[in-house]
Amino acid sequence: MAGITLQGVTKAYGSQSVLNDINLDIADGEFLTLVGPSGCGKSTTLRIIAGLETQSTGDVFIDGSIVNETRPSKRDLAMVFQSYALYPHLSVHQNLITPLKLRDLTALERIPLFGHLMPERGKKMSVISSEVQKVAEILKIEPLLDRKPGQLSGGQRQRVALGRAMVRNPAAFLMDEPLSNLDASLRVHMRAELSELHRELKATFVYVTHDQAEALTMSDRIAVMMDGDLLQLGPPDEVYENPTDIRVAEFIGSPKMNILPASCDDKGSIDCLGQKIKVKLKDKTKQSLSIGIRPEHLVLQSGAKSSFSGELTYKENLGSDVFLHLDIGLETGKVVIRTDPQDANSAKIGDKISFGASPNKYLVFDANGKRIDARGKGNS
Amino acid sequence: MQNSKVHYWFIAPALLLMFILLILPVIVAATLSMTDYSLGNSSFNWVGTDNYEKLFSRRSYAKMFSASLTYVLIVVPISVALGLGSALLISSLRIGNELYKAIFFLPVMATLLAMAIVWEFALNPIMGVVNDILRSGCDKRLIYGFFTGAWYGADPLQSWYGTACADKFPIWLGDKRYALGTIAFIGIWQGFGFNMVLYLAGLTSVPRELYQAAHMDGADSAWERFKLVTWPMLGPTHVFVITISSIRSFQVFDTVEALTEGGPSKSTYVMVYAMFEKGVRQNLLGIGSAITIVFLAFVLVLTLIQVYFVNRRVHY
Repeated sequence: MAGITLQGVTKAYGSQSVLNDINLDIADGEFLTLVGPSGCGKSTTLRIIAGLETQSTGDVFIDGSIVNETRPSKRDLAMVFQSYALYPHLSVHQNLITPLKLRDLTALERIPLFGHLMPERGKKMSVISSEVQKVAEILKIEPLLDRKPGQLSGGQRQRVALGRAMVRNPAAFLMDEPLSNLDASLRVHMRAELSELHRELKATFVYVTHDQAEALTMSDRIAVMMDGDLLQLGPPDEVYENPTDIRVAEFIGSPKMNILPASCDDKGSIDCLGQKIKVKLKDKTKQSLSIGIRPEHLVLQSGAKSSFSGELTYKENLGSDVFLHLDIGLETGKVVIRTDPQDANSAKIGDKISFGASPNKYLVFDANGKRIDARGKGNS
Repeated sequence: MQNSKVHYWFIAPALLLMFILLILPVIVAATLSMTDYSLGNSSFNWVGTDNYEKLFSRRSYAKMFSASLTYVLIVVPISVALGLGSALLISSLRIGNELYKAIFFLPVMATLLAMAIVWEFALNPIMGVVNDILRSGCDKRLIYGFFTGAWYGADPLQSWYGTACADKFPIWLGDKRYALGTIAFIGIWQGFGFNMVLYLAGLTSVPRELYQAAHMDGADSAWERFKLVTWPMLGPTHVFVITISSIRSFQVFDTVEALTEGGPSKSTYVMVYAMFEKGVRQNLLGIGSAITIVFLAFVLVLTLIQVYFVNRRVHY
């Protein structure tokens, strides 16, 4: 069990910079998720922690000691790959004992036939077998031990890959999009299982995904990465409620947060699409802004007190919720409102629909996409 | 539809061509191998299995089998090992791998007959460059000492190099102790580039994540990763490369024809050369056909081994 720290880690391939100054402190036993769109550098970060790639500058610490020069196998980490990377020519049982054999047996003891003559080998192998048995019991893969990976389903391979990581009892688990090759229902199921496994093992988990739902559901903390930068680090609800960057706001949450163009005059009052918004800025300078509002915070309104209105172009019915897509004349896309099925019943495609939100739900971003501290007063 | 015969018309052209071009010649050869037919004769006599009995009883044919098998047993392992080794080295290069690929592949593309003439000059006992180089080492103490073992206290005249320096260097293609080895050397030189290309293709299909998993699992040395990942993942390539180079080695002909003509004293009398000599030069079609049939049987056995035995073990 160990914590992992990254200090000022950068990575560049030639002149192409892929990681800019990543600082990350992962506590012992924490489930931390690195999330971001593909190409954001999250997998590179994980590989640097694993030692499969070396950083251009900066330091990696595991359990307080610096490991920049340490081989991957000596870092006491285990990795689960997206493709599972099981050895296809070995049975499940042999796949599981491989890391233990490589760690515990000497080179002489690993030689076929001759190795069996070595005095310590039998004792070591029985220890290894009992370790494998234990892990197979936890993951419920005992009936599969004699099969080859090619004879297993995706979910079963996933378990075997987890098992191969677990047998060594490593200081931390690194997982590189382990669920993305599974079908949708199995993925949801495995999310719960992974969280449970994390609670049982009490080990550090570093989990890479591009799926914000996985990040929100499983992690203790989320690190949102984009274009090689670590944009925000915090618990899932904080990242969701309080994004510090417009890119984080747009990436986390499904359906996406609505972004509306706005501007601020020198008295600090905000005008959004011709509507005054009851939000006060501390910084009273004239500037252009973006207003972010989550679909579930928009409410349908009728009559004169409504703030915005648009034409209903599409109704997405999910049973429990309905997403209303409204065209309010923005070039950047439609506004999405999440609402109850009863409220959406009467709305028909082509209807003019009015909506608004309580001012304290508005998130204000400046022209560079940084969050501005703003205070909304009461309900509209 | 059940009663329609039209499907026969669709497959008939293919079947007909296959029969005429592939199966019929084998049947003709098999038939001829039971006769004493010579080209130009108006008739022939059935001799039953006489030709085969000759093949398996006469000394010259025993030499033929032994030459062919020895050639295959030398060329296949060495050219496969060299092919794999060079493929591994080349795939680990960051720059220059295209150049190395082209160079090692050159002998494969070159006409072997033309290359054989070059080798004949190079291996000429008097003016050949090979013996020139070897001879020039005799009066260099460093080289002489190293190759004769004089350095580590052995008697120089006990070593091959020492005796050759004192006496003379071998007539590579004219001495029955060396001829087959020399032909095999040229075969390896010519063939390993082909195996290298096949292995390079095989190596690109090994998933990179497997190597990374091996790193994480503690396979620290390149040798460990080779054993754990590369070697087993190349399984299908091994089978293909070994089968192809065995068949190609059984088929060796042009170097023998150009350089030794089966001699000296039948030491390089390989099967395809024997076929040519009996069937074409001496116009003994019967015995030539018999050799052909035996040759086909060898190749068939190799192919069957590939299909039924090994293929099942290397596809996971």
